[in-house]
Amino acid sequence: MGDYIVSMENIYKSFPGVKALDGVDFNLRAGEVLALLGENGAGKSTLMKILSGVYTRDAGEMSINGKPCGDISPKQAQELGVAIIHQELNMCRHLTVAENIFLGREKTRGDILLNSQMEAEAKRLLDNLKIDISPRQVVGDLPISKQQMVEIAKALSVNARVLIMDEPTSSLTAKEIDDLFRIIRELKQSGCGIVYISHRLEELQHITDRVTILRDGKYITSMNFNDTTIDEIITHMVGREITEKFPRLSCKKGKEIFSVSNLNAGRLVRDINFTLYEGEVVGFAGLIGAGRTELTRAIFGIDPKTGGEFMLDGKPIYINKPKDAIKAGVVLAPEDRKKDGLCTKLSIRQNLALPNLDILSSRFFGVVSKKKENELCKKAVESLKVKAHDINVDAANLSGGNQQKVVVGKWLARTSRVVMFDEPTRGIDVAAKVEIYNIINELKAQGVAVMIVSSEMPEILGISDRIIVMCDGRITGELIAENTTQNEVMTYATRFESKKSQLEETK
Amino acid sequence: MNILKIRGMPAALTAFAGLIIIFIVFGMIDPVVFRTANIQNLLRGMAIYLLIGIGQSFVLITGNIDLSIGSVVGMSAMVSATLMSRGVPVIPAMLITLACCLLVGVLNGLLVGRAKLPPFIATLGTMFMARGVAIMVNGNRNTGLISGETGISSESATTFRNFFYFGSTFGLFNTFWIAMVIFAVFFFILSKTRSGRHIYAIGSNVDAAKLSGVNVGATITKAYMVSAFCAFVVGLVRVAMTGMGFMEAGNMYEMFAVAAAVIGGISPMGGTGILLGTLAGASVWQTLENGLNMIGAQVGIQRLLIGAIVPLAVLIGVTFRRDSSIKLISKWFVPSNKN
Repeated sequence: MGDYIVSMENIYKSFPGVKALDGVDFNLRAGEVLALLGENGAGKSTLMKILSGVYTRDAGEMSINGKPCGDISPKQAQELGVAIIHQELNMCRHLTVAENIFLGREKTRGDILLNSQMEAEAKRLLDNLKIDISPRQVVGDLPISKQQMVEIAKALSVNARVLIMDEPTSSLTAKEIDDLFRIIRELKQSGCGIVYISHRLEELQHITDRVTILRDGKYITSMNFNDTTIDEIITHMVGREITEKFPRLSCKKGKEIFSVSNLNAGRLVRDINFTLYEGEVVGFAGLIGAGRTELTRAIFGIDPKTGGEFMLDGKPIYINKPKDAIKAGVVLAPEDRKKDGLCTKLSIRQNLALPNLDILSSRFFGVVSKKKENELCKKAVESLKVKAHDINVDAANLSGGNQQKVVVGKWLARTSRVVMFDEPTRGIDVAAKVEIYNIINELKAQGVAVMIVSSEMPEILGISDRIIVMCDGRITGELIAENTTQNEVMTYATRFESKKSQLEETK
Repeated sequence: MNILKIRGMPAALTAFAGLIIIFIVFGMIDPVVFRTANIQNLLRGMAIYLLIGIGQSFVLITGNIDLSIGSVVGMSAMVSATLMSRGVPVIPAMLITLACCLLVGVLNGLLVGRAKLPPFIATLGTMFMARGVAIMVNGNRNTGLISGETGISSESATTFRNFFYFGSTFGLFNTFWIAMVIFAVFFFILSKTRSGRHIYAIGSNVDAAKLSGVNVGATITKAYMVSAFCAFVVGLVRVAMTGMGFMEAGNMYEMFAVAAAVIGGISPMGGTGILLGTLAGASVWQTLENGLNMIGAQVGIQRLLIGAIVPLAVLIGVTFRRDSSIKLISKWFVPSNKN
């Protein structure tokens, strides 16, 4: 068809160690709303960042308005009429609404800013969108949802022909979503092409004309929205074959070890209740931003809680800081190994000893016993099969898998009761994954309660006995791993409190 | 428009309030503080802190720091004094000196804005380099008098020294007026021009600025050039004051500049603060120094007390800000189920 406003063919893009886009095709017509769908890491944001000039492609053809374009900068993309609303807010929080809207293309006489003119224009723009914000307000003082509306206004102010919205509704209220959809329909009428990225599949019916689905950096399919169903879309999104092997160890489910009741900590941890039992691995599934990492952080005492109780082996425990959790035997192997899990500039020995210095040092002067330290490290390195010729090398020099083993090893010297793993196998190779699974199984066999957060669906299904699904800070489902499917998990993971239907009820 | 609503104004006004209290307290201890002669001296001393403070403020608002200010002051003093003491007329000597100083600013800008070095490291390097030039330029010695045997004529030396230090206009020393003119110009640039806006934007969120098409490297370079320019002027003031060039002139000034800016509410994290705050901060700093001198406090106790003001001022600022941020955060996270 000739009326494509954007067409991209055979786009390739790699980041160190990751093939983000692997020959993706993408087309957008003028006057349509296209939903770009896929799981986390499918390549949606990367593709759109290439279109808007944030990234440059490794290979492939791209044309905008029928004209082929080479590598473009964000500014050139803007001039071609491509505007993007990024997933993570990109505002200068110290500047006002009007200043943000006109940032980089201020109206000036000579070099002197014409503030009142810009404020008036911003006001007109906001009024047009029926957004009730003063252009003089400082952006940092606005609630997130309003900041998002400002970002939308900013994108529209450049007279965009192609508007990309990456998860625009994630922080909007029902009323604001309604306004946004009204704006989208108006833009569509005026001939704008709109790319809409969202995990909230139930929203799509209100605006979408067509869907394009990506998976693992590959183009899967494009369909007219009316010719398909949400179930079919989900199948396309997750439909991969499970090729990795998951060693499963069956244990008898024993007594209750750890329970969390009515835990609240911010917007992403709301009314959380669950119990962990001896001899089982509980997987926490959900989309990125569902609140799973925040949950582990709240339990471990990193982030403040606004309420909630913990019971460990039948006794209540109180965790206000990580030290309390470690003392009680509740430990966390965090998501970002290099940032939170390891001191990469210290040796393996120093890393393993760090949380155990209370055991390793003498009572009065705090002198670390070299002998005890050696014993502990030897035990950990041997039992975890850390591949390092010397425990005195920097942790930074280890491979991802071995680093993860050191992170786990830190906690094994203590008699931990609950071990939480946040994305334990992210970025490590298949063989090392299996070794991590074996460690997890070993802990399970020893009667330790194990909790795993993972965004890899096959992993969650393969390694856990029970799956708890979170969405938007709440637990939306609990499933037995053997009796469930990826589609079922995905259904729960996208079960957002339906803002749209709430709105319609109140009408 | 409500004056308190102007961004950065509350912090600046807090510093001015502190200034008035400090001034009155010292005046009550020793009324000499209130005498015209003392106020004239105080304003002249303040001018120096204000100038270096303006330069540092520009850099701090972009979220960076300039450690080379003091050395550039020394370089400016030594280069200009060396030239003048060898008979180079005042104006050409000043222009050559200006070029040298701006070169350091450009170098800082390239290292931080283009090469993306941490500003602490980059300007630490240029700090030593500029000081090295200051020491080298007259053969590892302080210069003789600028109106010495081989130097410029004593009339032009007097004109130069009066213009920058000893002369006065409308009853106040010229140094103060020079600082005020420079203050007005840069105040205007920072608050009313496109470049000023970009300086705030970069300090607030450099990624957002870049994605909006702001030329980050060039803007950071401009900020460092402002800083170098201010240090250049202070170097001339130092030469005017002593009539010669000292190799150690401007020692520690980069830190005085940070202090003046921070007391006035300029955040070293970037994005906030106004030059009016720097004016207040420089005044607080100088009034304390002056007042402690007048009541006969020793240098040690002076440093100790003045030093205590910096964290204190920031603590006051943080406490103010904390309240509003708590309000903000609770607005984000507490679900609004009231209806």
